[in-house]
Amino acid sequence: MSIQVSNVTKTYGDFVALDDVSVTIPTGQLTALLGPSGGGKSTLLRVIAGLDSADTGAVSIEGNDATKLPPQKRNVGFVFQHYAVFKHMSVAKNVAFGLEIRHRSKAEVKQRVGELLELVHLSQFANRMPSQLSGGQRQRMALARALAVEPKVLLLDEPFGALDAKVRKELRDWLRRLHDEVHVTTVFVTHDQEEALEVADEIVVINQGRVEQIGAPDQLYDAPANDFVMGFLGEVTRLDGTLLRPHDVEVRTSPVSADSVEGTISRVLRVGFEVRLTVLTDAGEEVAVEMTRTNARSLGLTEGTTVWLNAAPGATTV
Amino acid sequence: MPSSAPSLVGPADDLTTEPAPQEGRRPRRIRHTPRSTLTRGAGLSLGIAMIWFSLLVLLPLAAIVAAAAEGGWSNYFHVVRDGQTWAAVTLTVTQAALVTVLNIVVGTIIAWVLVRDRFPGKALLDVIIDVPFALPTVVAGLVLLSLYGPKSPIGVHWAFTVKGVFLAFAFVTLPFIVRTVQPVLEELDVDVEEAAASLGASRGTILRRILLPALVPAIAAGAALSFARAISEYGSLVLLSGNRPFQTEVVSVRVLSFIENGSKASAAAVASLMLFVALVVIVGLDIVQRVVARRG
Repeated sequence: MSIQVSNVTKTYGDFVALDDVSVTIPTGQLTALLGPSGGGKSTLLRVIAGLDSADTGAVSIEGNDATKLPPQKRNVGFVFQHYAVFKHMSVAKNVAFGLEIRHRSKAEVKQRVGELLELVHLSQFANRMPSQLSGGQRQRMALARALAVEPKVLLLDEPFGALDAKVRKELRDWLRRLHDEVHVTTVFVTHDQEEALEVADEIVVINQGRVEQIGAPDQLYDAPANDFVMGFLGEVTRLDGTLLRPHDVEVRTSPVSADSVEGTISRVLRVGFEVRLTVLTDAGEEVAVEMTRTNARSLGLTEGTTVWLNAAPGATTV
Repeated sequence: MPSSAPSLVGPADDLTTEPAPQEGRRPRRIRHTPRSTLTRGAGLSLGIAMIWFSLLVLLPLAAIVAAAAEGGWSNYFHVVRDGQTWAAVTLTVTQAALVTVLNIVVGTIIAWVLVRDRFPGKALLDVIIDVPFALPTVVAGLVLLSLYGPKSPIGVHWAFTVKGVFLAFAFVTLPFIVRTVQPVLEELDVDVEEAAASLGASRGTILRRILLPALVPAIAAGAALSFARAISEYGSLVLLSGNRPFQTEVVSVRVLSFIENGSKASAAAVASLMLFVALVVIVGLDIVQRVVARRG
């Protein structure tokens, strides 16, 4: 096990950022720390890196107790949301920084920097200054800089959070492929559940300083431990008191069984291929439903239509 | 994009949907930008700026240099050869240089404390730093005299000595480096230092390779202001230094006594000499700043 966090608590004044958190992060995997802003996931990452110290509890990295080690001695690579570039150094110099302060030979530094820039597709920008790079390029440079010192673990704090949606998606795919190539144990913090579900081998859901659930993406999505995890990983709605996903609600224009819930469509919203309905049940519940446009059209659904709702067979419910 | 690691080939090979800023000097290529980008409004603004600058600065300076040049080189030579004037020039320049060095260290530390630390009274300190700017310089002299003068309550008798000159210079130039470094330090993200630390850099290395290169331009700008202010200081000194020839007489006092004695040519010669010194120092600091900032 690569990173072992045991019973870590961290408070800022009255605010409890981490409340007795224990997590084990397996070697060589890509793990996401997922949760809402202010939930403590960044703090956990910073405690692992040694940038913040835990009030109580212990951190060990590759079997060595790192609780008291300064960040310099932990051999972790850290990538920041806002890149943290060394503005006065060229791209190559930024990447070379960790090697230079380790007094590696010039030839070795040059070779290694060349390899890393190749890896992050920045070879032709080696002599540029960071200010001449786009956000995505800066972040790839920061990643190369962190990888230069061959860290035991790579920690990324909302690495794509400052980028626009399209670049974010590209870099996300690229990070996954990069990880498959480099195999360094990687932990990244995100509040974007889609990002976590798409990229990570394992997801740790953190909320209000506590770990809500740990598991593979499918595991979390199909068997959420509680309402929070269910709600955080995707849209949810309540039908007859049960929490389920809006696309798992079946709509019919006649009752199919005794437990069908009768209601009236109060709102229809069309977004591309998708139709989102709001159904007001006779019991006074507002149920959100998602279906394809084709499906909605074939049923002839408009505002005011009376419908009967059922949970789809096999739907994930809490 | 050049060919890349084979296993990474894919759509992300063209991670270029985001346009990179294209300006910059590194990749040398022919620029097609016109030499002047002035619109009519901008031209008018530039015109106003130049007229104002000329009226206030360039023309008077040119007049002084012209007045000094009237006497020819022999006038300069004569003035500089005069022992009392030379003593005043060297005293002023040396003390101004020493004070500037002191300010570089202390000013940077004060700026650091004001930006990075939290303590009670910080806001007050932040305001008080500017007091030497705000006080009439004669009042500054009075203030210093009351503490370090003949009736010093703490027993420090620095009035009428070279130390008094140093003290007066230090007092009036204190805010310059603080005020130039402060905003730059505020802009510096702590995560840059954290990034360096996690790459293994010690506190000293971070200071030397990350912080100082970022701060040097601001420090140099503040140092230039501080030095220029010091060599031109008059008000705070007249009370504190005693203006003793060969000992505590500074250039500005010397210039005034030339004028009072009706020897305008000598005054102009000393003035243009000091102008030259100021130019050398300002240009020198600018060069230092460029070299350090580029090297990182």
